[in-house]
Amino acid sequence: MAAPSERPRFERVDWSAVDATRRTVTPERTILAVGLLIVAALWLYDRYVAHVYLVAEWAVAPVDWAVMAGLVVLTAYGVVPAVRNREATLRVASAIRDRPVLVAALCFLGGLFVVGTVLPLVLGRPELNFGYVYQPPLGFAADAGWSPNCAGEIRQGTGIQRYCEGSLQAPLGTNGRGQLVESLLVSGARVAIYVVVFALAFVVPLATAVGVTAGFRGGRLDDVLRTYVDVQLCIPAIFLYFVGYMYVGASLALLLATFGLLSWGPVARLVRSEVLQRREDGYVVVARSLGASDWYVARRHVLPNVTNTLVPAVVHLVAILIVAEAGVAFLGFSDVELYSWGSTIAEGLSPDRGTAHQVWWVSTTPAVALAATVVSLKLVGDGLRDVLDPRGEH
Amino acid sequence: MSGDHSEPPADPLLAVEDLRTLIRADRGTVRAVDGVSFAVDRGEAVCLVGESGSGKSVTCESLTGIVPQPPAEIVGGSVTFDGIDLRAADTDRSAIRGARIGHVFQNPQHALDPVYSVGDQLVEAITIHREVDEATARERSIDLLGRVGIPRAAQRVDDYPHEFSGGMAQRVAVAIALAAEPDLLIADEPTTAVDVTVQARLIDLLRGLLDDGMGLLLITHDLRVVAALADRVLVMFGGTIVERGPVEAVFDRPAHPYTQALFDSYDGTTRLAERPSRDELPADGCRFRAECPHAVESCAGGEQPGFHTVGDGAGTDDHAASCVYYGDGYDAEVIQSAGRAVQQSATGDDDD
Repeated sequence: MAAPSERPRFERVDWSAVDATRRTVTPERTILAVGLLIVAALWLYDRYVAHVYLVAEWAVAPVDWAVMAGLVVLTAYGVVPAVRNREATLRVASAIRDRPVLVAALCFLGGLFVVGTVLPLVLGRPELNFGYVYQPPLGFAADAGWSPNCAGEIRQGTGIQRYCEGSLQAPLGTNGRGQLVESLLVSGARVAIYVVVFALAFVVPLATAVGVTAGFRGGRLDDVLRTYVDVQLCIPAIFLYFVGYMYVGASLALLLATFGLLSWGPVARLVRSEVLQRREDGYVVVARSLGASDWYVARRHVLPNVTNTLVPAVVHLVAILIVAEAGVAFLGFSDVELYSWGSTIAEGLSPDRGTAHQVWWVSTTPAVALAATVVSLKLVGDGLRDVLDPRGEH
Repeated sequence: MSGDHSEPPADPLLAVEDLRTLIRADRGTVRAVDGVSFAVDRGEAVCLVGESGSGKSVTCESLTGIVPQPPAEIVGGSVTFDGIDLRAADTDRSAIRGARIGHVFQNPQHALDPVYSVGDQLVEAITIHREVDEATARERSIDLLGRVGIPRAAQRVDDYPHEFSGGMAQRVAVAIALAAEPDLLIADEPTTAVDVTVQARLIDLLRGLLDDGMGLLLITHDLRVVAALADRVLVMFGGTIVERGPVEAVFDRPAHPYTQALFDSYDGTTRLAERPSRDELPADGCRFRAECPHAVESCAGGEQPGFHTVGDGAGTDDHAASCVYYGDGYDAEVIQSAGRAVQQSATGDDDD
């Protein structure tokens, strides 16, 4: 009698052993570990040996450390997987190319990222120059009496009125302390990028993890997480920020911590409700029937299928955080040394010479930058949602 | 193997004993699977037939525990697969799923993840359990697609599920279930969404796999598929198996009144309309007694009646029905004559 069970088949392997070696060392984790170790080493060096300076006299603040760690996280779990999955990345890239608006928005944000991370290191802080205050942008003119000196031509107006014209020395003009508006823009871009990096690296994974866990696991864990999110939604971030402000003063780190860590509730809720639908889908059942673990199914099948909801929600959250930061800065409760766009706008709206509309460039330029950033984020959010879905048309 | 014939035959590939699954809903608990026992051997095709809601799918999903828990809860019984107790707490069921027991689900279009190409999903099915390099896995995916009848498999492998028709998605779902060369395939209506030529091809494929020693547990509504593939038939009603036996015996001499009613309804006569619409099935005794034309008092109460061999003179002890009429003290002829009438009207259909 032929034993049918002895038909040829793949060799049996102890999969738990293979899995262990296969899963513990991945490029993502290697990069993450190495990057975090470098940041930690620098931090220890800074704390116990000598200060680390980003540039010249610019010591590294706590918020800089947090953002450095955030950049490591984003590199490990954003850039590395994109490089590893070349085909998927190329497919998304070619889909992006078909959408000029998305390309433009991405270019703007990419430029902002470079400007916000590299240029502050090159340019340093906006320099005070009380000899040349309220210089108008190139092509415009301002009252020559506001400033001790005029960088450009001086034009005779009616009567005793004389105008100072814009010059290449200050192409976008200067503010009431003679700081170049372009360098204020660069400093503001740095703050905006800090908000983006912090949100993407820490807030978004937290929101996603909580949403997916609650939705996928269900039961008691779902109840606990949901209740926690509901409670958290009841705490106004700005109130907590002011409480902290009383103790530590204006701090971007405090602002990111309070606004960032209290604002992800809606995203987690949204993700949870989407996951509740996805976990009943056929492919999830199939993956289970193939012997996949919950963690595997959640990561490989559930998460990619909630990007439709997740991506716009996340981008919206980032935009809200940028606006919230600018708002707090506008009210004057942020670190003035950081020159956030919000504080520059506030400064331009209450000038010590002339009126706000006479020195419009001080407030308008950062306002335009802020608006362009938020609009670009929203466009990127909607665009990415579409290109990440292989079904294409919506 | 030793030639000792006095020894009982080797354990079947899959043995299910008294399996019970409850589904807890807000409006009460449904006993979806209520004491089901059967066995599937290597190289054997066992077919589950029965109307919608009779518990066929829940039975299949309870075997490897992939039925969603909650709301479902497997409350009793034993499932032994190749000597492994699948119900034991320390059994790693995820190592069995896919690798040794493949599953094809209903709703093929939903079985594929829209964000991955079909090839990715086949490669996934292969690599979840086996360490193979990507090129080998891809080659095998293309081979599998070809075997289930996808034309131009080498090109289609990179397409996304939405670019496949329902029937093709169905075939891909079969290919995914077969990717790891399982010893047992549980197929929930694998041929419903495909046209007859593809159906014939799938049946050929399954026959070939049966010849290679794979066990098959098949759910279908299509009696033609039953006739073409099955070795044995299990008829389910109300979460219980009411009749079991070799396919010829069950087709030729349907013994349980429900089987007779089921087969009768296939020829499209008016009997179906006469059946009362039901609110609740009886929770004890014979589940079919409310609709059974032959119901007697002893049909009520207790468990579903035990199996009695249908003494139909064909020499098959395997053919048994869960009906009191086949026990002592009743005249089974009453039911069998009704069955013969059914069989005559259905003969034209089941021999394809």
